[in-house]
Amino acid sequence: MQRRLFALAATTLAALTFSTLTHAAEELRVMVHSSFALPKPLLAQFEAQNGVKLAIIKGGDAGEMLNKLILTRARPVADVVFGIDNTLANKALAAGVLEPTLAQAAGTVDSQLGGALAAVDYGFVTLNYDKAAVVKTGTPLPKNLSDLTQPAYKGWLVVPNPATSSPGHAFLLATIAGMGEEKAFAWWAQMRTNGLKVVKGWSEAYYTEFTRNQGSHPLVVSYATSPAAEVFYAKEKLTESPTASLNLAGGVFRQVEGVALIKGTVQPAAALAFVDFMRSAPVQQALQTEMWMYPAVPKTPLAPVMRHAAEPAAFESLPPQVIADQGAKWVARWTQVVLK
Amino acid sequence: MLELRQIHQRYAHHPLLQEVNLQVAAGETVALLGPSGSGKSTLLNIVAGLQAPDAGSVWFDGQDITQLAPEHRRFALMFQDFALFPHLSVLDNVAFGLVEQGLPRREARAQALQMLGVFGLTEQAQRRVWNLSGGEQQRVALARALITQPRVLLLDEPFSALDADLRVALRQEFRSRIQAAGMATLLVTHDEAEARDLADRSVRLLQGRLVAVA
Amino acid sequence: MKRSRGGERGRVAAGLWLGVWPAAALVLMLLAPLARLALEGFTGEAGALGAVALFKPWQDDYLRWRVIWSLAQAAITCGVALGLGLPLAWVLARFEFAGRALVLRLLMLPFVVPTLVAALGVLALWGPHGLISGALGINLQDTPWLLLYGNLFFNLCLVVRAGVDALGQVNARQVAAARSLGATPWRTFWRVEWPAIAPWLVSSLCLVFLYCFAGFGLALVLGGQRYTTVEVEIYTLVAYELQLGQASVLALWMLLLTGGVALAYAALEKRLAAPVRPVPVARHPPQSALQWLALGLALAVLFVVCALPILAIVIKASSAVWHGAGGVFDAEMLAALWNTLRFSAAALVVATLLGVAHALAAQASVAWRAAAFLPFVVSPVTVAFGLLLLYPSLTASLPLLLAAYAVLAYPFVAKSLSAGLDGLPVHLGQAARTLGASPWRCFWRVTLPLLLPALRRGMAFAAATALGEFAVTLFLSRPEWATLTTLIYQRLGRPGQANLEAAMVLACVLMALALVAFLLIEWPVRDRHTSGPRAQGARLMPDMRRAVRPTQHA
Repeated sequence: MQRRLFALAATTLAALTFSTLTHAAEELRVMVHSSFALPKPLLAQFEAQNGVKLAIIKGGDAGEMLNKLILTRARPVADVVFGIDNTLANKALAAGVLEPTLAQAAGTVDSQLGGALAAVDYGFVTLNYDKAAVVKTGTPLPKNLSDLTQPAYKGWLVVPNPATSSPGHAFLLATIAGMGEEKAFAWWAQMRTNGLKVVKGWSEAYYTEFTRNQGSHPLVVSYATSPAAEVFYAKEKLTESPTASLNLAGGVFRQVEGVALIKGTVQPAAALAFVDFMRSAPVQQALQTEMWMYPAVPKTPLAPVMRHAAEPAAFESLPPQVIADQGAKWVARWTQVVLK
Repeated sequence: MLELRQIHQRYAHHPLLQEVNLQVAAGETVALLGPSGSGKSTLLNIVAGLQAPDAGSVWFDGQDITQLAPEHRRFALMFQDFALFPHLSVLDNVAFGLVEQGLPRREARAQALQMLGVFGLTEQAQRRVWNLSGGEQQRVALARALITQPRVLLLDEPFSALDADLRVALRQEFRSRIQAAGMATLLVTHDEAEARDLADRSVRLLQGRLVAVA
Repeated sequence: MKRSRGGERGRVAAGLWLGVWPAAALVLMLLAPLARLALEGFTGEAGALGAVALFKPWQDDYLRWRVIWSLAQAAITCGVALGLGLPLAWVLARFEFAGRALVLRLLMLPFVVPTLVAALGVLALWGPHGLISGALGINLQDTPWLLLYGNLFFNLCLVVRAGVDALGQVNARQVAAARSLGATPWRTFWRVEWPAIAPWLVSSLCLVFLYCFAGFGLALVLGGQRYTTVEVEIYTLVAYELQLGQASVLALWMLLLTGGVALAYAALEKRLAAPVRPVPVARHPPQSALQWLALGLALAVLFVVCALPILAIVIKASSAVWHGAGGVFDAEMLAALWNTLRFSAAALVVATLLGVAHALAAQASVAWRAAAFLPFVVSPVTVAFGLLLLYPSLTASLPLLLAAYAVLAYPFVAKSLSAGLDGLPVHLGQAARTLGASPWRCFWRVTLPLLLPALRRGMAFAAATALGEFAVTLFLSRPEWATLTTLIYQRLGRPGQANLEAAMVLACVLMALALVAFLLIEWPVRDRHTSGPRAQGARLMPDMRRAVRPTQHA
């Protein structure tokens, strides 16, 4: 009797599981990183206009997301990907997971992103400080990165691990670009002895370790737009942001994010439409206060709250090919130097 | 008639059975004596078909059945520890062979109940086998073997699991039941008195060879 | 139990035929991926350096630290488990008290707890906002204590249970003789009992070492940045840095080390097989105040180490739901629940079939028995990684995922059944055959019904393994196939009280599932079917599961 029940259960299960092997026909699968956010009405509008259902797949951190794409390239898990930035573009191209030709044909490709992605937004990874906490310590703000290695600033800085976090990675690149490789790693070694805190991801750094959120570190690697977000999400109306960007030489990096078709997509037309959609005016407006990035399409008006997030005057940059070649080596060396 | 012809069996490079020849006629009970480890149980296994001899053959009624699977031989084997099925009731134990013969379960159970009546075990029909006394278990084992009307009955020390006084008391009953059934019976035992009481003639296994005993 | 050369007709042939399926499963899902892994390690990105790259884990400071720490935390856990576990076992084995049977049964509970749930339990107690650490005002983050506590949660019960079984094997007459010759209880223990139980304990410690060393789920969540193990390193290298070559090299070394320990374990097991059951030492209720104190202390320790983390989760989850975190029961969670249920059920069915086939095949050959160990020895991270390399086109395909689940879960069924088959008297099958049953009928009507308790026990562990499966799902799954375990891990990755509470609630649900599966399949039945004390006191060693195994390896 029990065996018969089991056999029945097994066949039902088999039927169910095999039913999942075919996904819904008219579905556009969009792979995004975990910081993706757009208003639902906008997405619904896209679905209605193009006759497809959107399946947003969150792939984790940007680097993690790209790795997933690379590992599953034989049978892609999505049709279009958003969130690959200038530090990852060449890796994506080299791995052959993107479909450049279609996007190029549509004429929206951005050369900054290695010629395969259409730029959607850009942001600046920089240091943020908690104004109140800094005032409480009575110490003036550091003027450059080397100041941070002094005892006065011991235990101030918390950074996400470059191996597992995209902003952490960007910050590391900034220090290398700003100080040169050898000086940069010497600086990191000094920071390690000066109470540097390393956490897994940006969320942990910002929402757990930053003094603004009951942590113990007044200085955190974050984005130039984070102060504006603080004002936006504050419970009471604020005229001034409680945090601010600290743009030090060698401590600012520009990230440009883009959207691209994935090689082997089954929905090329809808995917192209999505690319256009991401660069359309309503989305470029909305992403400022949803994802806290600056719009890449020129002449897009900035949201009012963005006045709390002035773009840094200067930023570091590295040629994408250099990042692609040396990136892994630098991360490994960083792990050695900082985590032992 | 059961015939064993030139049975050879080795065990770990020692000859266990050598040139064993034996004939058991229908209705005859032959006792197989010998010390422990002499290969008596092995011989029974070979006759039952549970084991293939290294050489030699087993014949029944003029047919070579050496290659025949045990379930087709209809030779019932009764074990020293009775080997009653613990997950079945006494009734289902006895009915087991009938079900295997293709009888519908209800019919098999009815016949089994009758058989239990013959053995005086009707009240025990629904009980679990481990709740029975040694003597009762032995009767159930015999009932289970006999109900299938086997052509040959093989008994492996059927009394050694029982107390001494019980053994003697049961011998007579045992003898009459087997005789009533009327098939060729091969009885393995180490007890000479038992062999005298139960069997028509005895043979002894000495160093792998069968020797007739008076 | 020797089978004569002639063998039971049909039994051997059928056994070997059946063995084809588990053999195929093992080769395709375990051995081939391992070979591919080895290939990658030798010739992959490590490439031109060839053999030199193989020793990188020992030359590179960071990796060497990882390996040494992995070994150290396993060794420390072994030491603590023995130090705590032996007195506990002694108290449980020698004293008679109300509820003893229940306590012994509950000792099995940590085995069915998925590793992620256990990790959350430890966090709930000792984490940043933990019940105890919050009250005491200490911060245990980034310390090794969280991981060690988690290890102890799973493994203390293993050692205690092994100790209780071992102490049950001590010959009462020897103990009595020693006492009458003037030895104090303490000396008696050292000179008579300890030598008898030492092999059992060492054998269990091998298992503890294996579980801790190759553990994934616990280390991932509790290790922090500094104190993770090599398994987590392999995962990071693959998922975040795509350094397949280096990951392969590490995986190979892990395999070597775990293989060595597993061989030691197998050798010990062989020596301990088929013990004769002597007269056991009788239990008595605690007689002096000291003995009562010892009993109370033992139960308290067991409670704190093994039960408290679970309770902590329940407390946190209920308070979260009470304060309105009911929003966690959203579409995402229901989808994950559905995935967990159907994947586990499918895996259980396949695992049972494979396990039965393997157990029957193992009756015919000793090599097969050893083969059942293979999935224990290989960590799921290594297997998942090898599968990723070997079948790239099958990555993120459901059959592969389910096959991986099944292969990792079926050894429990196989080992439990093997133990059951061993305890089955030969004569029963023979009687059935002479009564007219063909080999198949004999199996169906006699062997299988008598093996049902063992089958249920094996299936319970297989089900628990599948429910808590974590590492393979992380590697091989598609985002839309998120299970409860990966969802918990996702929530843990996002900071904030709300996410932590959501993770607690999910962990509660998962644990309830594991409990249900455990109870359903392991429903206490009067086990008088299986004859013989051996089958009944069936040594639990073979039944020990690897969690997240989540198998402790996720």
